[in-house]
Amino acid sequence: MPDLQFQATINGRKISRSAKPHQRLLDFIRDDLNLTGNKEGCGAGECGTCSVFVDGTLMKSCLLPVAKAQGTTIETVEALAKTGELSVLQKAFHKTGASQCGYCIPGMVMAATAALRTNPFADREEIKERLGGNICRCTGYQKIFDAVELARDVQNGTLPASALMEDEAESGDFIGKNVRRIDTPSKVSGRLKYAADMTMPGMLHVQVLRSPYAHARIVSIDTSAAEAIEGVAGIITSADVPGEDGFGVFVNDQPVMAQDKVRYVGEAVAAVAAEDLLIAKRALSSINVIYAPLPSVFDPEEALCPGAPVLHDYAPDNVTKHIPIRVGDTEKGFAESDLVIEETYSTQPIEHAYLEPEAGLTYVDHDGVVTIVSPDQNITHHRHMLARIIAKPISKVRFIMSPVGGGFGGKEDMIYQGMLALLAMKTQRPVRLVFTREDSIISTAKRHPSRTVLRMGLMRDGRIRALRMKMICDGGAYGLSTEGVMRKAAILAAGPYVIPNVRVDTFGIYTNNTPSGAFRSFGALQTAFATESHLDICAERLGLDPFQIRRINAMRDGALTHTKAKLGSVSLMRALDALEKASGWETGAPTSRGEIRGDLDRPDIRPPCALGARFAAAEKREAAE
Amino acid sequence: MLTCDDYITPASLDEAFDAMAAHRSHYRIVAGATDTLPWAREGRAGDVHIPVLIDVTKIHELLHISVGDKRVRLGAATPIQRFLDDTNLARSLPAMPRCAVWFADDQIRAQATIGGNIVNASPAADATPCLIAHEAEVELAKKSGGKITRRRMKLDQFVTGPNRTELEEGELLVGVECDALPGCGGSFEKVGHRRSLVISLVCLATLVKLDGKGRYIEDVRLSIAGIGPKPLRLNEIENFLRRGPVSAERFNQAADMPVSLVASRTRQEYRREVVRGFVLRGLINAARAAGAKPDTLTPELEAAYA
Ligand SMILES: Cc1cc2nc3c(=O)[nH]c(=O)nc-3n(C[C@H](O)[C@H](O)[C@H](O)COP(=O)(O)OP(=O)(O)OC[C@H]3O[C@@H](n4cnc5c(N)ncnc54)[C@H](O)[C@@H]3O)c2cc1C
Ligand code: FES
Ligand code: FES
Repeated sequence: MPDLQFQATINGRKISRSAKPHQRLLDFIRDDLNLTGNKEGCGAGECGTCSVFVDGTLMKSCLLPVAKAQGTTIETVEALAKTGELSVLQKAFHKTGASQCGYCIPGMVMAATAALRTNPFADREEIKERLGGNICRCTGYQKIFDAVELARDVQNGTLPASALMEDEAESGDFIGKNVRRIDTPSKVSGRLKYAADMTMPGMLHVQVLRSPYAHARIVSIDTSAAEAIEGVAGIITSADVPGEDGFGVFVNDQPVMAQDKVRYVGEAVAAVAAEDLLIAKRALSSINVIYAPLPSVFDPEEALCPGAPVLHDYAPDNVTKHIPIRVGDTEKGFAESDLVIEETYSTQPIEHAYLEPEAGLTYVDHDGVVTIVSPDQNITHHRHMLARIIAKPISKVRFIMSPVGGGFGGKEDMIYQGMLALLAMKTQRPVRLVFTREDSIISTAKRHPSRTVLRMGLMRDGRIRALRMKMICDGGAYGLSTEGVMRKAAILAAGPYVIPNVRVDTFGIYTNNTPSGAFRSFGALQTAFATESHLDICAERLGLDPFQIRRINAMRDGALTHTKAKLGSVSLMRALDALEKASGWETGAPTSRGEIRGDLDRPDIRPPCALGARFAAAEKREAAE
Repeated sequence: MLTCDDYITPASLDEAFDAMAAHRSHYRIVAGATDTLPWAREGRAGDVHIPVLIDVTKIHELLHISVGDKRVRLGAATPIQRFLDDTNLARSLPAMPRCAVWFADDQIRAQATIGGNIVNASPAADATPCLIAHEAEVELAKKSGGKITRRRMKLDQFVTGPNRTELEEGELLVGVECDALPGCGGSFEKVGHRRSLVISLVCLATLVKLDGKGRYIEDVRLSIAGIGPKPLRLNEIENFLRRGPVSAERFNQAADMPVSLVASRTRQEYRREVVRGFVLRGLINAARAAGAKPDTLTPELEAAYA
């Protein structure tokens, strides 16, 4: 069928090339023109990092069939700093620290450029609105808006160009100063190469076959039809693992690909390396796997019941990890208390949604060193595990950490690097796997969902006498970081409060859900959510101000934690003071207020977002004219 | 992932119909492609192969816009962004810019078309209810026996349910005609899981025309989506308010009326609450935009629903 003769002016240069009729503009500029500055974060129009100008209008190139851009003038992020000199906006991003992992930044810079081209005087609200199609998972946006405002003022001459320069140190002191990050120019210009931006000559494209079952025995895998497809260079299954299979952070309970059975929907079963993505996809659909479904369990409390389906032979009770903490005598503490309150709290699984989906490039180098380039948050540990899995000495395994486009704990697990190593070894060619957003969501760890029963005994004056907590977490099908998360959750369960009697049990449980793993705060969120919510409820029952109940119980300098760590200094009191002041807190017990709190709707509290800033701006302009 | 063997971009209706005839039952129409590409992804349709894609966004007639005194004609391939950029159009269709600013984002609006929004017929589509409030009629065309024939129907009859319309095999949506309503006040209320770049759970378009003194309602139109399988005009409320005074009391009474219409399968209680609030807020915002005298709307009412 006909390829398309695609003609356009791209970043000031005329091009004429053949393109596939189904290609998206994003693929064409990244794969065919090697302009990898603009990224793919979602492929579905949601994140904006693929935004480019088409005839001067900003568009999301992941939603644009290349044929739609026929004959147009296209500017990618590379056009903004064409000669190497950053644009005013890019410099402003550098100055304010607007870029962290940087993966959203090409799109942000483009959207900001579009906003200021449309309205060079846009105020902060209008800037926010015009950047509304772009997602950043790292910065919280404020520094990005600061950057756009700074660039606007420099462009309009209300601030001198020197405002873009780095703050000077004051007598050698940089604290409180904007020190520019050295990696920012590479990010705002799109020059930094993330794993999905890297290619090698002769590189193959990898796709992964995933389990449609939550729990099933693998009866057979037949790859013969897929092997026969022209352009398929190699297919691997668990049978291709030469060494001792199994990875994890604390227990090596997860095989590179499912061995005898699958334990969650999305688990890797086989992987294909082929000349292009379409061939690899076609090969996947030609692999014939026969499954015998097994009973599955999706609730950790059910998984603890006798007779529940067992996920791993080594853990017949489905317990991945139990962490107990015992201090004093909680029963005595409750008996001594004036008031005992028990509540149940639960939290849900959460996806990290780092803007960069997983990707990896792997090759066997001239010395036979298996080299894995990926945004991997734990390369040293992974290097040791992989050497064992592929039965090579450690000197023949190398991990290179590519720029991590956001991780938040979600890239600590060796979910796909093992498959890449096996395929590179099998084909002796470079191989690359780029996850779609959907791959990333279906197969990688989530924050542990939790259910916590918390019982607290207090004296009438607010002092806590005893705390008993039992938290059950859904660890999903494999251990990953569960053990560490349970430990941290338990250690921090009783909060920074002096409590003489503490009994904490945290349990990580195997189920047939997507594995849970590391996520910012590593277990502290789940227990702190329970403990802090509980303190508010207790404050209400005791007629105390929520700040007051925390001050009454706060650990002070020199305190001993519930796990006997001695704290030299404790900043809790200062943090409470600062928080109370900044929030404009209306002092009093939660019950002391009427229907409406007095500390809401203040001018320094951000109102809920209401779109339409551009209408207000237009009205103002009209009024001025 | 969407793949095709050929991507055809006809320049005229004739060329489009010829391509459709040549590739009968092997093609799919695309306009902005903003519904079509995300649809062909894992979790929805997955990998899809469509032999021929026919792109209608370069057909002159589908891009043409004419603004008359009584009616406005919009080509089906009009991108949503036009309602924000074209001040003449915005003046004649006062609720559309408010709808547009809540629709996706600046980038997608430059690409997404009204025709795609209508034919895709999602119960959460934003432009459709708003066009219905402007008394929209669709114009459909097909070619048979070498001749292009056309028919028209009311937009609220054209959309029959979730992803269902009266569009026939071989037929194209060529345009939409609506009432020109300069001087009316328009509003668009929308709620979804977040504020920016989100599809509606419920949305409401409101148009209010006041007398010269800004105290009486001469005409009012409300159209709502997300509470049932297809968008609805709230005729009973319109009749109740038409030729009555602008007052907090009447707006409150109106807001209590439509809740029985909530027929969606999920979160009924929540939607009832939203509808009550939206009718009130929509009327206030539209009346204010139409120049209602400030004393007609009590400050409490404004504060509670602004
Ligand atoms: C990130 C994102 C955010 C979004 N936000 C919103 C939102 O806030 N509100 C909202 O309502 N929608 C939203 N959408 C959905 C989408 O953008 C709209 O529905 C848009 O109007 C679809 O138009 P299109 O031209 O892109 O449709 P296309 O994908 O091109 O077409 C959609 C369907 O209509 C058919 N079709 C199109 N034109 C014609 C024609 N002239 N004749 C016959 N058939 C035709 C096509 O065959 C196809 O079946 C969003 C989409 C994305 C990706
Ligand atoms: S919007 Fe295009 S990749 Fe996310
Ligand atoms: S800096 Fe924005 S996603 Fe990381």
